[in-house]
Amino acid sequence: MVRARGLAVLIIATFVAFACGGTTSSGSKGEIDIASDLPTSGADASSGLPTQEGANFAVTRAGTVRGYTLKFVPFDDSVNGVHDPAHGVQNVQAMISNNLILGMVGPFNSNVAKAEIPVANAAPLAMMSPSNTNECLTVTYSYCQSADGFTAESLRPSGSNNYFRVAAPDTFQGPAMADFALKAAPAGLGITKIAVWDDEETFGQGVANNFAKEFTAKGGTVVDRKSYDPKAKSDFHDFLASAKANGAQGIYVGGTSATGACKARGQMAGLFNPDIYYLGPDGIGDAQCLTDSGSMATSNMYATQGVADATQNPSAATIVAAYKAAYPGASNIGAYTFAGYDCAAILIDAIGRAIDANGGKTPTRAQVITALGQTKNFQGLTGVITLNTAGDQTTPTLQFQQVQNGAWVFKSQFAVGGTTS
Amino acid sequence: MIGALARMPSTLRTLGSSQVSNLIGLLIVAAALALTLQHVLQHSASLFFQILIIGIADGSIYALIALGYTMVYGIIELINFAHGDVFTLGGYFSLALFPIFGIAEGKAGFGYVIPLLIVALITMLLCGLVNITIERVAYRPLRNAPRLAPLITAIGMSSVLEGAMYLWRGPFSLHYPDLLPLTRFNIGPVNIGVKDLIVIAFAVILVVVFTLFINLSKLGKAMRATAQDRDAAQLMGIDINRTISATFFIGAALAGAGGITWGLYISSVDPFLGFITGLIAFTAAVFGGIGNIPGAALGGLLIGLIRAFSDSYFDSSWTEVLIFGILIATLVFRPTGLLGMRVPEK
Repeated sequence: MVRARGLAVLIIATFVAFACGGTTSSGSKGEIDIASDLPTSGADASSGLPTQEGANFAVTRAGTVRGYTLKFVPFDDSVNGVHDPAHGVQNVQAMISNNLILGMVGPFNSNVAKAEIPVANAAPLAMMSPSNTNECLTVTYSYCQSADGFTAESLRPSGSNNYFRVAAPDTFQGPAMADFALKAAPAGLGITKIAVWDDEETFGQGVANNFAKEFTAKGGTVVDRKSYDPKAKSDFHDFLASAKANGAQGIYVGGTSATGACKARGQMAGLFNPDIYYLGPDGIGDAQCLTDSGSMATSNMYATQGVADATQNPSAATIVAAYKAAYPGASNIGAYTFAGYDCAAILIDAIGRAIDANGGKTPTRAQVITALGQTKNFQGLTGVITLNTAGDQTTPTLQFQQVQNGAWVFKSQFAVGGTTS
Repeated sequence: MIGALARMPSTLRTLGSSQVSNLIGLLIVAAALALTLQHVLQHSASLFFQILIIGIADGSIYALIALGYTMVYGIIELINFAHGDVFTLGGYFSLALFPIFGIAEGKAGFGYVIPLLIVALITMLLCGLVNITIERVAYRPLRNAPRLAPLITAIGMSSVLEGAMYLWRGPFSLHYPDLLPLTRFNIGPVNIGVKDLIVIAFAVILVVVFTLFINLSKLGKAMRATAQDRDAAQLMGIDINRTISATFFIGAALAGAGGITWGLYISSVDPFLGFITGLIAFTAAVFGGIGNIPGAALGGLLIGLIRAFSDSYFDSSWTEVLIFGILIATLVFRPTGLLGMRVPEK
């Protein structure tokens, strides 16, 4: 009995000590936490970790907001090295139970977003994704329910929006690449006959169909249209023979490296001249695709990315240089590092405005979401960002990347129109 | 081939005994051929021949894998589901061996023929040893258990092998170096790749050599005796365990060679490649008549052709439906397969 009472006293004392420790830091009105939920271990770490470092850098660099001390609280949604929606939901629940957390950067993957948005929406907790591109996450198109099994409304049980992102949705990637392929060189590729493949998945089929529609509408010809089951198809020689027999000058593949979209590129050796074009969405714009392409990883491979290249933005140069000084490794910069930075910076900006609106006191999570939705002309590293009520940028940027010397490098970028259609 | 000819009379007898189902089967095949012909005529002849060669190349690799399924089934009536993953292991082992023998992409040439063959031999040996171990650990203790028990351990071993490859080299596909010559030449309208021919030749030589081995050697005779009647074979002084181990070894060696050939042909391997490839090869074995070695070779070739033509001239979404439809149709209408199952004469 005595022992138990002693323990209770000890626990209470510890609590008091921690509570005091939290509030007595000199000159600060208290602590506000910004969480992140990204895949940062295993195979996914190559894309998730540099994004987390970008967000961490933004929080560290800001340090405080309106007298509150900022703290970065990272979560990892990988299980066995692969992003896991169920684990992401657990992370979001942990964030919700921590009152200091007013918003999160993430998630990285669209299927994780699909699982997390309803949970965060009920709390509500502000979500700011650097990299989600599934168009149905923000806008309800006629095919969303049947193709993806959800709509923007069904993900938001409270009826109001808590989810925002900076990446351009998938609806833009296919048509943009189609325009690029048709346009005469050097602004484009100047090809008129193309074979279009997809991996039978929601994302792949969507971009491939959007590509084919635009390519045909602008006067090109889709000479061969094929789908493959990524689990069963590993020999693409027959598809390639068919594309060649039909006179294709290139192939657009709606797929990702994970669904084997670049294996066919590796099998082209010998069958096609190395100057044959191979085009695809952001899903092929990674190192795995180059591995699969082998000796055919030539400069005639192009991919779109749903986010601008911050190193092309002169006004971002100082911060980009500071980041590179703090994180000097080559693996510290991924396609979404500076999008991660922007997401955290936008959240901090919104929290600041929410504090102002609340008379300088700690804002509620709902007030942060309201302020986030009012983000206008924010000077980010990846561009000037204005968010709409659905959760998208009003004018997101698409980037073209080309393979050069065994790596994806920046080719060009441009803003694409609003998401309402 | 000799075996196939010898079995012709019995094949014809089966035709007589189930004429109705055969008629239905023939009608379906005729309709499929007519439909394919219609699609083929819409495209160029050169494409047709190219697809034909791709189909034969794929089919000869399926045949290499199917032989292992059929041999193991013939001798202990077990479907070794881990066989497809032993095939993938062939790709993984050879990838690990290449640097040791100085083989890398861009270093093609005649000087690399010998090292490549040595790698192939070591890989076949390693795959054989893995399969013998699997048999010793997962199947032999269950030899007298109900049929379902070893089937379940087989599926378990398949997962173990996939998991091991996943942990070894990661979840993603690995690039397999382009080592075969990429030259192509034309005979009339037909464009042929040297690579395709090498793949076909390699597979055909292996299938023929091993068929002859089983038909002519003493060990082959012991295997056939064990398949016919295990107890009688044992009474005649055949070491059953050794014979069964040899069967697993040979089957796995062929699958390992298949893994290398497949890697060279499609330029990539991934841990889960063997799952679907194994299922397709298993279908080929059933199609040709499970337990029948020439049947497995013929089944593999036909399935390869069907896959290539279906993918190219129709929708590839239907290819799997077609292939597994063939599996079901074979089991329902002609359980003995095209060339007849080797039924143990008990």
